[in-house]
Amino acid sequence: MIEVRDVSRFYTRGVDVVHALERVTLTIPGGRFVALMGPSGSGKSTLLNLLAGLDRPDAGEVVVAGQALSALDEDGLAAWRARHVGFVFQFYNLLPVLTALENVELPLLLTPLPRAERRRRAEIALAAVGIPDRAHHRPQQLSGGEQQRAAIARAIVTDPDLIVADEPTGDLDAKSAVAILNLLKELNRAFEKTIVMVTHDHRAEPFVDLVLRLDKGVLVNGAGAPA
Amino acid sequence: MAIPLAYNVRNLFVRRWTTAFTMGGIALVVAATMLLAALVGGLQRMLVSTGEPDNLVVLRKGATSDGSSMLPRDAVQALRTLTGVARGPDGEPLASPEIVNQPFVRTTSGNRENVLVRGVEPVALRVHRAVRIVEGRLFRPKLGEVVAGRGAFQRYVPGGLGSRIEFGRRRWTVVGVFDSGGTAFDSEIWADVRDVQDDTRRTGYSGVRLQVAPADREVVIRRVAADGRFTLEAKPEQSYYREQAETANSLYILVLTLAVVMATGAVFGALNTMFAAVSARTAEIGTLRALGFARGTILVSFLTESLLLAAGGLGSGVALAALAVWAVNTLLSGVQFSMMTFSVATVLLRLTPGGALLGLVLAAAIGVLGGIFPAWQAAHLRVVDALHRA
Amino acid sequence: MTWPRLVLRNLLRHPLRTLFTTLSIALSIFLVCAVLTLPGALAAIFERQSSNTRISVHHKAGLTYWLPYAFVRKVRSVPGVAAVNHYSWFGGIYDEPKNLFPNFAMDPETAAQVWPDYGIEPAALERFRKTRNGAVVGEQTMRKFDWRIGQEITLRGTIFPVDLTLEIVGVIPEASGNPVVLWFNRVYLEEAMEPRGGLRFVGMLWVRADRPEHVDRVMQTIADLFRNSEAEVAAETEQAFLTSWFSSFQGFIRVILAVGFLVVGAVVLIAANTSAMGVRERIPEIAVLKSLGFRRRPILLALMAESTLQASIGGVAGAAAAYGILGALRTAGKTGGGMPFLGPLANFQMSPQVAAEGVAIAVVVGLVAGAVPAWNGARLNVVEALRRLF
Repeated sequence: MIEVRDVSRFYTRGVDVVHALERVTLTIPGGRFVALMGPSGSGKSTLLNLLAGLDRPDAGEVVVAGQALSALDEDGLAAWRARHVGFVFQFYNLLPVLTALENVELPLLLTPLPRAERRRRAEIALAAVGIPDRAHHRPQQLSGGEQQRAAIARAIVTDPDLIVADEPTGDLDAKSAVAILNLLKELNRAFEKTIVMVTHDHRAEPFVDLVLRLDKGVLVNGAGAPA
Repeated sequence: MAIPLAYNVRNLFVRRWTTAFTMGGIALVVAATMLLAALVGGLQRMLVSTGEPDNLVVLRKGATSDGSSMLPRDAVQALRTLTGVARGPDGEPLASPEIVNQPFVRTTSGNRENVLVRGVEPVALRVHRAVRIVEGRLFRPKLGEVVAGRGAFQRYVPGGLGSRIEFGRRRWTVVGVFDSGGTAFDSEIWADVRDVQDDTRRTGYSGVRLQVAPADREVVIRRVAADGRFTLEAKPEQSYYREQAETANSLYILVLTLAVVMATGAVFGALNTMFAAVSARTAEIGTLRALGFARGTILVSFLTESLLLAAGGLGSGVALAALAVWAVNTLLSGVQFSMMTFSVATVLLRLTPGGALLGLVLAAAIGVLGGIFPAWQAAHLRVVDALHRA
Repeated sequence: MTWPRLVLRNLLRHPLRTLFTTLSIALSIFLVCAVLTLPGALAAIFERQSSNTRISVHHKAGLTYWLPYAFVRKVRSVPGVAAVNHYSWFGGIYDEPKNLFPNFAMDPETAAQVWPDYGIEPAALERFRKTRNGAVVGEQTMRKFDWRIGQEITLRGTIFPVDLTLEIVGVIPEASGNPVVLWFNRVYLEEAMEPRGGLRFVGMLWVRADRPEHVDRVMQTIADLFRNSEAEVAAETEQAFLTSWFSSFQGFIRVILAVGFLVVGAVVLIAANTSAMGVRERIPEIAVLKSLGFRRRPILLALMAESTLQASIGGVAGAAAAYGILGALRTAGKTGGGMPFLGPLANFQMSPQVAAEGVAIAVVVGLVAGAVPAWNGARLNVVEALRRLF
């Protein structure tokens, strides 16, 4: 469902040119829980950004669920993301002035749903991730694990095709990390959500279907190799 | 779908000192501007409202005010009998000969001020229709009695009705108080014209006010100018006071200039605040963009936040200005102001719709200018960079 | 890395923010200087215009009351009097009524003795004495109407029923402190008034005592001389006279000063705001500095130095701008144009003292605005701050 064709991406840092990704080609079938792994600077986050429509490649093509992302302009990408992608970040990125429920509701503001319906779905999402009783707390009042759960609820509330997670367990203690990985796996199994996760946490490997390894911007273990 | 207003409001609340200081700065700019506009407004109201539509002021040609004009006795006679001058039901010509004097009078606080004393005949009350005796009675001739306008009464007659005050070469008894509806006359003291002539050792007059039917106005003006025996000029009373108000108009330009300069300073303050807000919330902005909120939506949201700041500043500024105007008018009974005649008039500050509008425009400008650039920056952040600034 | 360089680098870290804050302070100080010029101009007028031996003598009842001409001779013979001149307001109009400026009939013979401090050229005074219809004119008025020495001008009478044609023979320099007034020979006016009853009165007298120590005695003697006479006089020093004259503007000036006060308030808020933001953002840095072993005081001083430096630069820029712009306006003759009642105040000369005051206010603002957040920042608990870092 995700096709990456010959994609390259580089940055200029001062006088240096960093080749974040070098002619990467891969395919991710739908409904899979995929891990992108590799050492620091390997380009895994860069690749994730391209898949999620947060960034554009300098060369090559990214096609997600039949949509060629290069065909969309900035606002088009935004609208596409709103409908098709859910985000989970390392530092949760919840808006501190909104309650957990309001945070989860946020992506639904981009849909034509009426207020009551938005509330209902947000509550369901919070229940699905196991923290229905935390709905009216602000992020500062939640533990790390609870915040990430809320973030995951936000990521699934619009029923996206694709969930991208950037180091979702990076800021969590061991117990919470495992709980989150379990949750993601559950979502993948129960709702057949395609999840692409960037991580360098080796504990994640048993949870995923597929591991793609990158090193210095190049895919190392070939597309489609099983874990 | 827009980002909810609660997001902006709560963010303003979270950074409450910054919000308070920025709103405070805007409030002070708005208040200062409205206060100055109120001074000008009070001046204008006093001057522009003074004058009957049916009256003409006759002065020596070229005189700027009746304080600096001189008419001989026979000129006054000629004007009295001029055709076109209205007559009362008893046939009395509605022509009020007046002599203006500016003696020193001591205020209740001991200062020495020039006060406008107008020597008039009883017919003056019929020609100046806005003037009404509200307490006591009109003076009787040649007895050294005076009536004082409300403002003058408050300022110069501590002993109240019936008491004596001292100016010129003698003492005078205050037998009445008159009200002229907030016009310039409220700061004057009126006495019998012959008493004033005696006191100043003069035989002439300063000017004459005529009541003339609108249809006859042009004709009378021409007749007055054409009379070769004297060099006189007649003009509509309202035009006369409007010309005095020109001073106030040039003040308004000063007010506007001050307002713009102050507002520019406030704009910089707002800019700082909003840029800092964008900087602090970069990760949030990145998240919102990632979630799919369009750039335009983000721009509007931050612009709204800046406008909320401005609105808060506007509200407090108006309240502050209103309080200040009330305080000045009630506790200080207005502001002393000298006009072309060099005598002192008490001006009540007056909050005008124009002043409020000016305050509104200022606040809106500060909100927009202070917000648009940071909002634009927020909207055009590179999402990837913004997220990684977590 | 020295402390000064660190302070400078920190200010340049957010160049835009520093620029905005500095500009807003500059703007506010510009305003404050412009506003402070008014009372400053008043004080300057007193200092320059009043020599400490000049005495004003006028009718006790007011300036609109004439004194008999015979009084001049009587006052001349009072012991301690060095010279006497007389002063009568003519109130002539040049060209248009709105061009009103003060013009007086006086005595050219004793002008030099009574006003030696005005610095009028002796040759000009000589011409003034010799030319019967001669006039000396203040420098500012010369500039305003673009007059030249030798030019003939006509003043149309308002209180006096005569028009006078005068020849400009000299200039009263700006440094005299009285650069607006016009003087001409009273004899010329007397002759013109002959067919209309003549002129036997003067408006007031200006007397110069021979020594400062004699001033009080001279004033007392003059007052006693005319007590119980046809015209009782009031004798007071020039300074007292001017103070009294301008006290009527007090209310107006008070409002303007209130505005200035509000502006300063706004400045403090804006500067405090920015300073606080800056410190808050640098809390992690400060924590690192402290964990490295830097003590509290240097950190506090560095923070305050930053905000003070920023404010000072803004203050200097604002004061300089005010000086330059007001000076340019004055040279172009633009100030006071629409406000003749301001008289000598319309000069709007900004003194270096006002500039210094403006800069001082800016420095204080910088210190105050830096103090509180700096104190909070320096007092910070290291562990807590470091935790915020990660």
